[in-house]
Amino acid sequence: MDIYFIIFAIMALGGALFTITAKDALPSALGLLTVFIALSALYLHLHAPLIAIFQVTIYAGAILVLVVFVIMLLMTPDEKLEAAQKNMAYRIMGAVLGAYLTALTVVGVKGISELISANELPEGFGHPGLLGDLFFKKYLLHFEMASVLLLVALIAGIYLAKKRI
Amino acid sequence: MDNWVIALIKVVFIWTWTLLIATLMTWVERRGSAMMQDRLGPNRAGPFGLFQPLADGIKLFTKEDIIPEKAHKILFSLGPILFALPAFSAYAVIPFGDKLVVNGKEIILQVADVNVGFLYVVALGAMAVYGIVLGGWGSNNKYSILGGLRSTAQLISYEVPFGLSLLAVVLVYGTFSLREISLAQQGTFLGFLPNWGIFKQPLGFILFIVTAYAEANRVPFDLPEAESEIVAGYHTEYGSMRLGLYLFGEYVNMYTLAALMVTLYFGAWHLPYIDMSKFLGPVSYGIASFLVFFLKTAFFLWLFVWVRWTVPRFRYDQVMGLGWKALIPLALVNLFITALCIQLTV
Repeated sequence: MDIYFIIFAIMALGGALFTITAKDALPSALGLLTVFIALSALYLHLHAPLIAIFQVTIYAGAILVLVVFVIMLLMTPDEKLEAAQKNMAYRIMGAVLGAYLTALTVVGVKGISELISANELPEGFGHPGLLGDLFFKKYLLHFEMASVLLLVALIAGIYLAKKRI
Repeated sequence: MDNWVIALIKVVFIWTWTLLIATLMTWVERRGSAMMQDRLGPNRAGPFGLFQPLADGIKLFTKEDIIPEKAHKILFSLGPILFALPAFSAYAVIPFGDKLVVNGKEIILQVADVNVGFLYVVALGAMAVYGIVLGGWGSNNKYSILGGLRSTAQLISYEVPFGLSLLAVVLVYGTFSLREISLAQQGTFLGFLPNWGIFKQPLGFILFIVTAYAEANRVPFDLPEAESEIVAGYHTEYGSMRLGLYLFGEYVNMYTLAALMVTLYFGAWHLPYIDMSKFLGPVSYGIASFLVFFLKTAFFLWLFVWVRWTVPRFRYDQVMGLGWKALIPLALVNLFITALCIQLTV
């Protein structure tokens, strides 16, 4: 275990714990920001600078900003999250989802560790060009599927927002 | 060991330089606005009032540091720091000159030439919004919350065309590295124009400059502050050096964005038609490239001031409408045309 991994793993876990236990909405969102930044640091450590930058730009820079926008639009600084946190239905749903995700992660990690043995990084690993090459040649179908999925979400969003089309 | 010392010198140099320029900009802004409104502006402290920023700094530092009683103490004090920190670190990947050769050792005038160069600038630009949001939320003031809210909405709307216009530049040059983009702008384009990004991406540059003004919260997009409607927005409750950090961070942001404009669209350190490296010595070439780059940047810094005191502020719905209905479709069209041209010429 190297010290770099331990520091940022603890930071990510601590941030995640704070996110679900914080009493105020905005500090809770900041906990999530800590998680994103710690994850981005871990990606950097894994020689994947592009993924690390995207983690910050997209998750922390766009998605979380949207979350913060909704918090600021709908809540006031005095409002507490306790009512929602004490709700039993939320807790059960969270537990089921959490167990499911943990199981999925364990299966995934086990599968990957069987597939990959430790070896040298290929030349230019993590370079944006190489990633693009993989996306548009080897994994083109997966890439296009993701695009279609996003397009569907986009059309659904417009449908919901517009009164008449 | 040697490389570490050089890297340290570069970091310290660009940090001090950025701070110096940001300080000077507060003076340029006040004198510039005075010039445009037929006033004198601050002209008492030192020659032409040049020591005015120093006097302002001393004033801000010696003022009483007040935290409002009902404010959220931690968020309130974190806000200015989270705003200034990304602003101060964003310059690291932008070049400030070509290279300096000292004792046969080549020193590249850039702190870090990373292959994800300007994605880093975009990421840090997006981080600045958290400083504003924390300030707005932590102040426990209606106007401040409105300012923070506007800031988040504006960021989401303008981050997309900002990123898309940058993406078109990536398509043209085929790299994320800002140094490689700068190097590719030497020589001429179509035989008679300087080989600058602006001639390859005219629409892209217009989109970029508009979104850059929105990113920097400058007039006509200074909706989060809007002193005439929401009383300076997110920094209503701030005073002393905490307010100083907010104001200062804005000027540092301006400097970074101006340098980015020069790097991407105005040929970085290249002079049009003249190749300086041919007739200048290695050291004087390094200094000349730095000066050329800085003079171009200075023009765009002045443009920020010029626009601020010329154009009125947009209404909030106009800002959102412009972002979503005009800039994003235009940016997509620009990206499409760029991709088509490259596909046809390669």
